[in-house]
Amino acid sequence: MYLTREEERIYDGEMGWAYQVSMRILVKLGELYGASRLIPIESAHISGVSYKTVGDAAIEFLRALSESNGRVKVRATINPSGVDQDRILSNILPSDLVNRQMEIVRLYEEIGATLTLTCTPYYIETPKSGAHISWAESSAVIYANSIIGSWTNREGGPSALASALIGKTPDYGLHRPENRQPSVLVKVEAKLNSEADYGALGLYLGRILGEKIPLIQGLPGAGETDLKQMGAAMATSGMVPMFHIDRIGRSAGGIEKITVDERDIIKTRLDLSTSSGRPDLVFIGCPHCSPNEIRLVSELIRGRRVRSDVRLWICTSNFIREKMSEHARIIESAGGRVMCGTCAVVTWLKNLGVETIMTNSAKTAYYARLLDGVGVIFAPISECINVACQ
Amino acid sequence: MEITLKGRPIVAGHATGRALVSSKPLTFLGGVDPKSGVIVEVGHDLYGKCIKDSILCFPHGHGSTVGSFILYALAKSGLAPKAIINLIADPVVVVGAVIANIPMVDGIDITKIANGDIVEVDGERGVVRVYRGS
Repeated sequence: MYLTREEERIYDGEMGWAYQVSMRILVKLGELYGASRLIPIESAHISGVSYKTVGDAAIEFLRALSESNGRVKVRATINPSGVDQDRILSNILPSDLVNRQMEIVRLYEEIGATLTLTCTPYYIETPKSGAHISWAESSAVIYANSIIGSWTNREGGPSALASALIGKTPDYGLHRPENRQPSVLVKVEAKLNSEADYGALGLYLGRILGEKIPLIQGLPGAGETDLKQMGAAMATSGMVPMFHIDRIGRSAGGIEKITVDERDIIKTRLDLSTSSGRPDLVFIGCPHCSPNEIRLVSELIRGRRVRSDVRLWICTSNFIREKMSEHARIIESAGGRVMCGTCAVVTWLKNLGVETIMTNSAKTAYYARLLDGVGVIFAPISECINVACQ
Repeated sequence: MEITLKGRPIVAGHATGRALVSSKPLTFLGGVDPKSGVIVEVGHDLYGKCIKDSILCFPHGHGSTVGSFILYALAKSGLAPKAIINLIADPVVVVGAVIANIPMVDGIDITKIANGDIVEVDGERGVVRVYRGS
């Protein structure tokens, strides 16, 4: 791999340990995947913020970076943490967990990251189409590549962090046009009625696709929320970094074909629901809500009242909540909570007394059972709000 | 008996120690206890073994990228392996070995190494020497 003189000096440690270790991460990954050089990035998005997922190991590494004066070189946003920004959860959760969580966020601030605490940083600042970026958080990666058209590999927390400090990424994988082409044609022959159906489709496809990029036909009515849900789910059950939507009926010869019918969607939806009881938490906002989703919830809930035995969380970033403050107020005055900086996947559901969660997110439905062992009810947003308010 | 295996250098450095060999991929997040260095993944062929000071040989890593930080934490606590030998390097283990500064080589047929063998790793040149008592 070719390194400029300046990059070599960083590699050799002339700028200190933080930059040296970051450069080494990028060069080793580049060598592993056949990169020829490092290319500048517009932004980085760093996962590995919730103490629930990263634990003490990440705290030590972040502290070492900060003490060695490591600072980000480009806009670097961070994923949600285990607590909300209004400190409602902090008052319920064990103080040890909360303190360590705060320490992680403080260390990210120290190294210069922007404390977006969201998995949908693209609603705050959308990267340019065609821009090279270095993003972790699988749902944001697939959204950026497929819906925005910016270019990123499926980074992990450590590699996105290294890219943020160096301001560059190795030019392999999805940073090259030839690797962004579809290798599987997916024909959807099922009628999809809600964003939950799109999530189920994504989950079903992710299992089959693995790392492959699909060209998907048969989704003429797909909206932005639908595609966000589908992508997030696809990147959960598989390692899919990108999808293409065919709205014009491209002919795609010479590649593998998959057909998805109604039964596949129904079966996936049924498998995701493990509980038939009543939820004690209804959760919308995985991935974090867009302005349109906040508006939709406020329209669905206006004039109604959330039951006293159910918590309703609508999760998004602080930025979007402020932007949509009137709609947020409608939701809150109905007894829902527009919660910022966290979500049901990265906080400690069991510690919060949650036994059964209801959600419109296939990704959350998949993880809540695995990570928290809670019961799951998977349904479209309108049904979720109905159950919360009955 | 002495065997020399040639692989690909990943992280520079020299180490000699006893081999701890697995035929299964290893998950660091959730699979290795960062406080003791013991493998806690149920059903793993190294379940209950401590990786401290070993020459840890396994096909490749898998699972969360947070696994890289676990290797770093292990190294900070003096519980890390002396070197890592993989069949195919994957990003989680590579990044972990880089930040923890653990010599690492991949492209090695690890079936040629047995538990307890004395193994010398040259992470600079990607050479692994295996010594087995007869």
